[in-house]
Amino acid sequence: MFSKHVTKDISAYCHGELSNEESKQFAEHIIACAKCRAKFEEVKLGVKLAEQLPQLAAPNHLWRELEPLLEREHVEIRPARVSAWQLKAAAAVLVLLSAWGGWLIYSNRGNAILTVDGKPAWRVKRLDGAPKVGAERISNNGELAVGEWLETDGNSRAQIAVSSIGSVDIDENTRVRLLETQPTEHRLELARGKMSAHIWAPPRLFFVNTPSAVAADLGCAYTLEVDDQGSSLLRVTSGWVALELENRESIVPAGAACETRPSLGPGTPYFEDCAAGFKDALKKVDFDPDAAARSAALKAMLDQARSRDTLTLWHLLTRVEGEDRARVYDKMAALFPPPAGVTREGVLALNQQMLDAWHDAMETTWMGIWKGVPKPLAEAYWKTKNGLSRRLKDMAPK
Amino acid sequence: MMVAEQLIDGRVIEACQQGDRAAFQLLFETYKDKVFSIAVYSSGGDPAVADDVTQQIFLKLFTAIRQFRGDSEFTTWLYRLVVNACLDERRRRRRLLPWGETVAMSNPSEKKPQEKQYARLEVAEAVRAAIGELKPKFRLPILLKYIEGLSYEEIASVMGCSKGTVASRLNRGHSQLAKRLSHLNNPAAWGE
Repeated sequence: MFSKHVTKDISAYCHGELSNEESKQFAEHIIACAKCRAKFEEVKLGVKLAEQLPQLAAPNHLWRELEPLLEREHVEIRPARVSAWQLKAAAAVLVLLSAWGGWLIYSNRGNAILTVDGKPAWRVKRLDGAPKVGAERISNNGELAVGEWLETDGNSRAQIAVSSIGSVDIDENTRVRLLETQPTEHRLELARGKMSAHIWAPPRLFFVNTPSAVAADLGCAYTLEVDDQGSSLLRVTSGWVALELENRESIVPAGAACETRPSLGPGTPYFEDCAAGFKDALKKVDFDPDAAARSAALKAMLDQARSRDTLTLWHLLTRVEGEDRARVYDKMAALFPPPAGVTREGVLALNQQMLDAWHDAMETTWMGIWKGVPKPLAEAYWKTKNGLSRRLKDMAPK
Repeated sequence: MMVAEQLIDGRVIEACQQGDRAAFQLLFETYKDKVFSIAVYSSGGDPAVADDVTQQIFLKLFTAIRQFRGDSEFTTWLYRLVVNACLDERRRRRRLLPWGETVAMSNPSEKKPQEKQYARLEVAEAVRAAIGELKPKFRLPILLKYIEGLSYEEIASVMGCSKGTVASRLNRGHSQLAKRLSHLNNPAAWGE
C-alpha cells in the first residue's frame, strides 16, 4: 500500500488515462497515503480550473483576410470543384461518421463513454426485468447520459458503472438521474427508491442528491432509500458517508444509519445495533415539532446510551441547546471522558477545535474493525483521515 | 480526435493538395476555433496577436500541405504547426513585451451572464491569465488537452515526447495553476 507513491499518475487518473485496475490501485493508495492525497487535492483543483478554459470563436474576418494572403504567397487556389449538393452530402456523411465515431468511443474507452451526440454517459446493465432509460427499455446493456433518468418498476433492477470508480445497484421501483460526470465530480440524483453504492475513489468524488440531503462518499459502500415524501434512509456498510444540507452535516460510519427529512435535512446518525428505545427516542429528538416532546425524548435516549452511542451524542451537541446540551455533555463525559485540553465550558460553547479533538478520540471506539489494532496505529490512521475529511469538506463546492 | 476531423483527413486534404478553394475553406472552418483559441491563450490574451498567429498558421498550413504525406495523423501534423508557431511567436514577443501581460478580451458569443455564470466567467478569465504565465512546456499540453481534447498519446506525438513526459508536465501545469489560483479554492468564487 505504501510501497509506491502515485503522484506522477494524478493527472492521468483525473483524465481517465489509467486502466480500471490502475485506477483502483491509485484510489486505494490515495486513501492511505497522506503525501499523495495532498498532491491529489492540488492537482484536482488544477484540473477543475483548467476545465474552465473555454474554446473561443475565431473572428469572422479571418478568412476574408486570409484569402489575399494565400494569393500573395502563391498558394494555388482554384475555384471550387465541388458543387453545393456535394458539400451538403459531405456534411451528411460528417453527421453519420460522428455517430459512428461516438459508437467507437463508446466501445473503446472502458467506462468513460460518450453517447452518439457527444454527451458523457455511464454504462447500465440490466439485472432483472426491463429497466428504462428515458422512455426506452434497455435489453441487457445500455447507457445513461447526463440529464437522463433511469427508472425501474416492481420487477426490474439495474446496475450502473460509475465511470471507473465504482458501481451502483438500482433496486425495484427506483428513479435516478445522472447529473454530472467529470474527473473531479460524479453526481447522481435519487428521486425515489433504493440504491446500493460501492465506490473505490478518493473521498468526495461521488455524490448523490436526494430531496432532503446530499450524500457525499468518503470511500465506502452504502445503501440509500428515498420514499415518496422525499425522506431518506442511509445505511453504511463500509467506510464513511457524509449527509449534508446547507450547514447541517452528519458523518455516518460503517454500521450506522441516518434518516433525513425534506426541509430539515439530515437527522442524527446512530448505530443500527442500538437499543430500540434509543432509536425511537432519537427520531423524536430529530423530527418532532414539539420542543417539550423532544426534550423528554432526549432524556429517554440518554438513559439508554452505550459507549458506542457517543457517535449520536457527539452530533447532538450542536443540535440541542441550553440544559439539554449540558445533559448530553455529562452523559458523554461519563461514557468516554474528554481528552486533555477539552473542557466542559469549551464544548458547551461549541468550540470547534475541542469538538473535533473529542470526536477524533472517540472514533476508534465507533469502528468495530479497529478492535485489536494497536492504539497508536489506529489513532494515527484516524487523525490523518479526519484531517482529510475536514479539508475536503472545506474545499468542496456546496 | 473527432471523427469530423477524420473525414477532413481522408477527403479534403487531397483536394487541398490539389489547390481546391472549397476544400481549403472547409479545412479552415473545421479547425479555426481551436487554432485561434490556442493562439489567444499563448499570446497572453491579445486578440490582435492571436489573429496574426492564426493567419500565419493557416498560411503555413496551406503552403505546406502538399508536403503532407500521411505518415502521421493530419491533426498531429497540424498541431505541431500550431505549437511551433506559438513558440516562435512567444520568442519574438519576449523581446518586445513582458510575458504574462494580458489584455481583456470579450467573447462575442457570450451572453449577459447571471450571477453564477458571471462568477464562472471570472474564474475562466483568471485561468486564462494564469495559463499565460505558465512556461510553454506546461501550458501547451494543457491547451492541447482542454481545448483540442487530445489524448496523452496524441499530445505526446504532437510534442515529440513520451506519454510519461506529457503526464508529468500536465501534473506540474495543474499544480502551478492550483498554486497561482489558490484563492479560487472556495465555493463563493464559483458563485455557489
